[in-house]
Amino acid sequence: MHPAPSIILFTVLSGFGFGLISIVGLLQFLSQISAVNIIIFSLIGLIFSTVGLISSFFHLANKKNAIKSMSQWQTSWLSREAISSIFCLSIVVGNIGWVFIQNRYINEVGIVLFLLSLFTIFTTSMIYAQLKTVPSWNNILTPALFIFAALAGGSILLMDYASLVLLLIFGVLQVWFWYIADQSFMYKETTIGTALGFSKNENIRAFDFAHTNRNYLLNEMVYKVARKHAIKIRYISFFAAFVFPMSLTLIFPGNFSVSVFMLVFHLVGIYFSRWLFFAEAKHAVSFYYN
Amino acid sequence: MTKLPKCEDKKLGLLIDLDTCVGCHGCVVSCKEWNSSGSEKQLSDINSHQKDPVGTFLNRVHSYERENSCTNETETFYFPRSCLHCEDAPCVTVCPTGASYKREEDGIVLVNEDDCMGCGLCAWACPYGARELDLVSGVMKKCTLCIDRIYSEELPPEDRVPVCVKSCPTGARAFGDFNDPNSDVSKKVKERGGIDLMPEMQTKPVNKYLLPRIKSKDSVGSVGSVGEEETDATGLLGWVDRALSKF
Repeated sequence: MHPAPSIILFTVLSGFGFGLISIVGLLQFLSQISAVNIIIFSLIGLIFSTVGLISSFFHLANKKNAIKSMSQWQTSWLSREAISSIFCLSIVVGNIGWVFIQNRYINEVGIVLFLLSLFTIFTTSMIYAQLKTVPSWNNILTPALFIFAALAGGSILLMDYASLVLLLIFGVLQVWFWYIADQSFMYKETTIGTALGFSKNENIRAFDFAHTNRNYLLNEMVYKVARKHAIKIRYISFFAAFVFPMSLTLIFPGNFSVSVFMLVFHLVGIYFSRWLFFAEAKHAVSFYYN
Repeated sequence: MTKLPKCEDKKLGLLIDLDTCVGCHGCVVSCKEWNSSGSEKQLSDINSHQKDPVGTFLNRVHSYERENSCTNETETFYFPRSCLHCEDAPCVTVCPTGASYKREEDGIVLVNEDDCMGCGLCAWACPYGARELDLVSGVMKKCTLCIDRIYSEELPPEDRVPVCVKSCPTGARAFGDFNDPNSDVSKKVKERGGIDLMPEMQTKPVNKYLLPRIKSKDSVGSVGSVGEEETDATGLLGWVDRALSKF
């Protein structure tokens, strides 16, 4: 699949933003955070998720109809995501306002924010995980990876040892995801044979192109990434998003300025991870262009 | 609404015969022509007369070669690819704006361009590459089964079929109701074994394909032996043949 920068930025930034909001919500529920910190970190989360959502808006080819995306929540994960994110962010704004004016907070609002932001990240991941046409996304690891990447990122600034646990879970899921992604269509029934109505093991190849130039389908869904570069990018991503923040947390536990530095590295790593998420994903339509 | 209807009444679709198709791209051209003229909703082209032209099409014809395991010969065939108007259309349920929908009365899958926001998710959900985003208007385009022809009251009755069916010079394309067991398409599907594309994707396509007939060893053998020893030429050629045979 085409790794569009607008979508990658959207999943990275809003993922981190909602991850931070859910961690703030959890700490608010457990009374483990000061009122000032609720305001500061909720605002950071709000800014990141909003910038992410604006970035996804730029992916749309017909932006004037974007508001209609809130209408089909009964069947569409993208619609659920739009509603859930707007709803969650409104409560964040309300919570910030309440804490700012009253200088105290309601614990129960925290758990609502925690669950609602997790649900929002889940809906984002389901946009991809629902697609049978892309087997490397069409499994439980996609939502798991999105949720734990967001929680790990969100916890770096606010937690010490709990952050280590979340990072560790994220790291394991990431490696597992890559392992499954490598198998892509290997265990699926789809081949060029079934794509053309023959049996699975037919020996068929295209001898002429259906069109003389590239088209939307090829640009959007038949993206090929060089295997040797993909492996290198996996190393870069894993080091920046996992190994580096993990080791710095162990060396400097509870040092806030170090954790800001770690967070930057972590997000760069997640950016590479999401680039691979798209670039390495093989779509069923590519069989017609074998 | 992006909820899928039952479509118990009619299931309109196409039957495409890969044994007959000669890959002339006539259906591609006539489809583009019909869907780009006479209305504001065009299928756009960019750089159409310059380097790197790209354009939106609702129908594409691929060319493949397949190894015949019986004769060890390679056979070519042509494969027209367009929307299959699936019963379980994943492109409809993923749509966030409600622009994608499946008609209850005949099962045709359509896009309401006034609602489409051009996110492209429906094209991702389709395993067949049936949907293309129009890069000029920014909305998703797909086969409408020529809904403006099949229900037209102005066109003469014989023209009330999709334009790809009407224009096909070999009769490789047929249009009809797959829900009616007595329709021509249903009978042909039964007789020759109509095939679903990628059944494992569980989309339940309405459109069916008829595969190329498998050529046997005998038919290939008879082609190989033409014009070797004997000739049954008559007239001037016959005289030349007889004259030359004397030496």
